[in-house]
Amino acid sequence: MVAPLVVVLDRDAGEAAYEQIASQIREAVATGALVPGSPLPGVRTLATDLGVNFNTVARAYRVLEEQGFVIIRDRSGAEVATPAARASRQARAMLERELWEVMARMRQAGFSERDLRKAAESCLDRLKE
Amino acid sequence: MSETTVLALIIVFEVLLVGGMLLIQPFVVRRGLVFGVYVGEAAAEGDEARAIRRGWLATMVATLAAAGGLGGLMLALKLGPPPLAALVPAIVLVLGSYGAYIRAHLRARPLAAPGAPTTAAATLSTADPSLTLPLTSLAVALAGGLAAVAYAWVSYPDLPPQVPTHFGPSGRPDAWSPRSFSSVMLLPLTTLLLGTAMAVMACLMTRAKRAIRHPDGGISLAAQQRFRQVSANYLALVVIVMTAMLALMSIFAIRTGLGLAAGMPPALMALVAVLLVVAVGGGLYIALRYGQGGARLERPAASAPLTNGLADNSRWVLGIFYVNRDDPSIFVEKRFGIGYTINFGNPKAIALVVAFLAIVAYIVVAGVTI
Repeated sequence: MVAPLVVVLDRDAGEAAYEQIASQIREAVATGALVPGSPLPGVRTLATDLGVNFNTVARAYRVLEEQGFVIIRDRSGAEVATPAARASRQARAMLERELWEVMARMRQAGFSERDLRKAAESCLDRLKE
Repeated sequence: MSETTVLALIIVFEVLLVGGMLLIQPFVVRRGLVFGVYVGEAAAEGDEARAIRRGWLATMVATLAAAGGLGGLMLALKLGPPPLAALVPAIVLVLGSYGAYIRAHLRARPLAAPGAPTTAAATLSTADPSLTLPLTSLAVALAGGLAAVAYAWVSYPDLPPQVPTHFGPSGRPDAWSPRSFSSVMLLPLTTLLLGTAMAVMACLMTRAKRAIRHPDGGISLAAQQRFRQVSANYLALVVIVMTAMLALMSIFAIRTGLGLAAGMPPALMALVAVLLVVAVGGGLYIALRYGQGGARLERPAASAPLTNGLADNSRWVLGIFYVNRDDPSIFVEKRFGIGYTINFGNPKAIALVVAFLAIVAYIVVAGVTI
């Protein structure tokens, strides 16, 4: 039996519940655990199962939709989106800026150039095409 | 069959079947729960938990013996009106089992897992139980109920001033009341309202909160899904047989009033027997085969901790009432017993229960006053 994917909320994590949900779904998509077209539970179902407000799950899905990870299908649920064929100029500018900020922070935190390359390669290895 | 034999059979049925159902409860709950208290999976198998279960079992066996003994004694000595001999054991069973539960619950409280769980887990699986049978039961409840109501409505002007309102074991009427809205429409409306309310519950049950264990490789989820499906199908089957029975009773009560029939048809007794077998047999089968919430199916993973509301002692009053305003769930599984309870923190769930109780209250009040 293939274990079903599970979202775990940690109330002590300090990170907002919607962000925890979004981040775990992003991780599953990025690693290929969720492939494009995979159905996701409806907002109502996931909120009921987790015991959190509908708005928390709806906000997580909205964030994921804005970032191109999911397509929301009215009340019946959502599905994992296919990655864009080409990055738009706007997406490229914004995400490169975010990557630049992360790398700057890593360098400040003591990563050497070799560490940075290693970290980037490890991320690339985990990303499923 | 004499009245004494029938009453003796009812008492035996109460003590053996209802008592048996009560006795298996602590042994089919989900692991980690002891009399409505989440104590953790290891502690639930510990010596203290075992001692509490033994104490409860002793009280329950005494309750069953008292219920059966008292009923038998009343029957043998002909104390009070005869139906009382069947009613007293039922009252003893209800009071005794609640008393035993509360005592065991209070004894289990000191074992409670400290604090509320800090994590909540939910599956991303979208496989929901099938709605086919619950929706079929809804269609049957509406069709059967509306047919009964329509037949009573159309026949009302032709009914005599006195209509039959009670039928004896032979199926012949043995009590009559003046023709009125209540005396004519009570049974058809009961058919429609009770069946529809129960069918809606069966549909909602397929979408009840899934209280999984984590991490367990998906075993508890599979068990929960199967439990939800079988519980919803069970209720749907009860609704279908009950609607057939009540619709037949409604129509034949009117036909008897109109002089078109001598009483209830023989097929009715067969439907009553089927309903009893489905309701009692089905309940026992689910308890023994699946366990509460699929507890018996998830045993390979039963040492993984329970999550969410089911593991959160701060959300349960006496281990019976789940009150969580942050949780949008309507139906949640019971901590003790078989089946579901509602989230008393959700106004929608409360509205549903109030509507159901209003239907039952109407039936009881109208039934008593006609």
